[in-house]
Amino acid sequence: MPTSTSRAPGSLGSNGLPSLDALRFIYVTGKGGVGKSTATAALARAMAARGRRVLVCMTNAKERMSGMLGSPPIGPEIVSAAPNIDAVNMEPRKCLEEYGVMILKVKALYKALFENRYVDSFFRAVPGLYEWSMLGKAWYHTTELLSGKTSDDVDAPYADGWKYETVIVDGPATGHGLDMLRVPRVLLDVAPAGPMRKEAERAWRLFQDPSHAGVVMVTLPEEMPANETLELAEGVREMNLPIPRLVVNGLLPPLFQHEQRGLLLARELPLGLTSAHARASREQIQEDALAKLATLKLPTSYLPFLVNQEPSSPQAILALAHHL
Amino acid sequence: MTSPKSRKLTIPPQSHLAKLLDTKQVLLCVGCGGVGKTTTSAALALAAARAGKRVLCLTIDPAKRLANSLGLEHMTREETLVSPEIFARAGVPVDGSLTVMMLDTKRTFDEIVIRHASSQKAREAILNNKIYQYVSTSLAGTQEYMAMEKLQALREAGTYDLIVLDTPPTANALDFLDAPERMVEAIDSPAMRWFVQAFTGKSVSLGLLGKGSQLVLKAVGKITGAAFLDQLAGFIAAMNDLFGGFTERAKRVSEALRGPDVAFVLVTSPEPMAIEEINFFADRLREFAMPRDVYVVNRMHMPPAPLPGDLAGELVGCGLPADPAFQHAVQAAHHEATLLAQRDASHLERLRIDARDPTPVLRVPAFENDVHDVGALARVGEALIGHVAA
Ligand SMILES: Nc1ncnc2c1ncn2[C@@H]1O[C@H](COP(=O)(O)OP(=O)(O)OP(=O)(O)O)[C@@H](O)[C@H]1O
Ligand SMILES: Nc1ncnc2c1ncn2[C@@H]1O[C@H](COP(=O)(O)OP(=O)(O)OP(=O)(O)O)[C@@H](O)[C@H]1O
Ligand SMILES: [Mg+2]
Ligand SMILES: [Mg+2]
Repeated sequence: MPTSTSRAPGSLGSNGLPSLDALRFIYVTGKGGVGKSTATAALARAMAARGRRVLVCMTNAKERMSGMLGSPPIGPEIVSAAPNIDAVNMEPRKCLEEYGVMILKVKALYKALFENRYVDSFFRAVPGLYEWSMLGKAWYHTTELLSGKTSDDVDAPYADGWKYETVIVDGPATGHGLDMLRVPRVLLDVAPAGPMRKEAERAWRLFQDPSHAGVVMVTLPEEMPANETLELAEGVREMNLPIPRLVVNGLLPPLFQHEQRGLLLARELPLGLTSAHARASREQIQEDALAKLATLKLPTSYLPFLVNQEPSSPQAILALAHHL
Repeated sequence: MTSPKSRKLTIPPQSHLAKLLDTKQVLLCVGCGGVGKTTTSAALALAAARAGKRVLCLTIDPAKRLANSLGLEHMTREETLVSPEIFARAGVPVDGSLTVMMLDTKRTFDEIVIRHASSQKAREAILNNKIYQYVSTSLAGTQEYMAMEKLQALREAGTYDLIVLDTPPTANALDFLDAPERMVEAIDSPAMRWFVQAFTGKSVSLGLLGKGSQLVLKAVGKITGAAFLDQLAGFIAAMNDLFGGFTERAKRVSEALRGPDVAFVLVTSPEPMAIEEINFFADRLREFAMPRDVYVVNRMHMPPAPLPGDLAGELVGCGLPADPAFQHAVQAAHHEATLLAQRDASHLERLRIDARDPTPVLRVPAFENDVHDVGALARVGEALIGHVAA
């Protein structure tokens, strides 16, 4: 039995939530700076600790993941970052070249292509191509078998197993990070035939399959991020993509009980007590934001706000991994 | 509550802000995602309006509550004058005027198409093209570019003393500067001309084509599918026809950014990542010999006032519980606030300030609540001026 099917989809993890471990493809998204990379690193650590072989794909990011995983720098070539975790910082140009080599096979042909002085800026300017080159690469790695062959039949029992049981994409920070996910669909619209379309179709089929793929949304327990997360969820659901997990990052452990908070917020306080007032107010905002997020009815994990610890250190990431 | 009268704003003439408002016609707020660009632009615009200017704030994707509190109930995309009543209700007297407008990228793009298309047919062809629909909403750089287009149009109209421009939430603040180039690349670059000519087999005279090009094109087609290239060639040709000299136009837009009347407001939070990003942006501006007019460090945790000496007594005096557990929680809150303030202050040391040409740094405290009404915007503005009305 390959390990990839040892956890039946729908099984519960130790935290009582439907486990993410059976997923082959996870796309992490959320507004800029909410903790997508932090959550990605922690999730990779958590899954790897449970024995999954994980590939973390960054989308042409300022590379800070190596600091979080305690690994050597992560560049455009896949490197081993931690036990059971490989990682890569995808560069569109390089992804495209890899893809070209794979499709064209004949060296003379792809040399002619990538040495042409216009091709570079041509590719850069083709709408969606760079996004797809990265997303397509990440998807491709879900099809690789340990034997070196490939397959996109997620349910077939392979004797040798998947090279990567789970591929996690740390989505781009721009906008809602949905633009990249939308590209395969655009390709289905504009590319009537050809290899790119075929791959986009296969990838899209996987992305929409709730037992093997999903969008993990990351947010903060604050008013505006919560509002935007509701909109984001709507956008993801419109695309018919599953959302197996919401990650609320930066959760404050409450210092005050509900009534105490009420008492603090109900009065004008002297200057010496403003820090207590501010804390109570933050706790209240958090409570309201959590209530709003609860209306999404999504399985939710909570990552604590770290004050006493550098949040991007390997130790902090390992601590956060326990919550996933 | 502060009474309306006490919120009259005078900007001290020696303040950095006064200098900006006197000498500049455009303030451009840049910074990475979520640091407070929209808030800062609205606050700056309001402050200028309070000081008597006719101001337009061109915002991008403001929070609904902020838009609502400025009277943009229907999230309209038109220029909307904020009603003096709204200011009166908030107790924020405004001597000038404040107009707000939300950028709609797709609509701005559509407007350009409609204005410049040579025929009804050409216009329909573009607006209905699938690639156009994707480009006009999702292509990296489109939003930035369209913001600049809009800015240019508004400037030429000359209705305002000051335009404050918010920028879209890019991962990378630098994207903003490159937007015109990227748009040119997508529509009117030599590479695109090469492609269209090679594809349609026209104009071999350029000497770019020949066997090599055909081979390359075949290879591209193998990757993307020939039909996709077909669509793309159609799109590029239509856009080219539409924009004629798009390169020229983008150049004008991009040059306008470099005029002496444009100020860059570099917004950041005290988070190391945001500071790193704004340092990077400042370096880039320096490279271009462009001004770095002012830093705004938003959402700073300020050191809290010391706890009362007799905590239990003070708590009782305020009608609060004074049991040990509650006292402990109050102390913990104070300790945490102190820690956060220390952390922010130490992070701020990473902001690279050029000793020979120091850029002023304005700090805005983190408020307890989000900034989404006129009163709160006024307070942000006051913090920016470094002056709170007595
Ligand atoms: N639980 C936490 N407690 C305290 N700080 C945190 C926590 N999670 C993240 N941070 C800090 O917040 C900042 C943003 O985190 P991170 O880089 O993971 O966000 P991101 O969403 O990936 O950002 P971007 O959109 O720029 O890619 C970092 O400085 C990180 O160390
Ligand atoms: N000084 C402050 N104190 C408290 N809340 C603030 C402060 N500044 C901004 N905020 C809040 O932080 C959130 C983000 O601010 P804002 O929308 O201005 O950021 P932005 O840089 O425009 O974000 P984006 O990159 O997504 O456009 C808003 O909810 C705003 O009300
Ligand atoms: Mg990140
Ligand atoms: Mg904004």
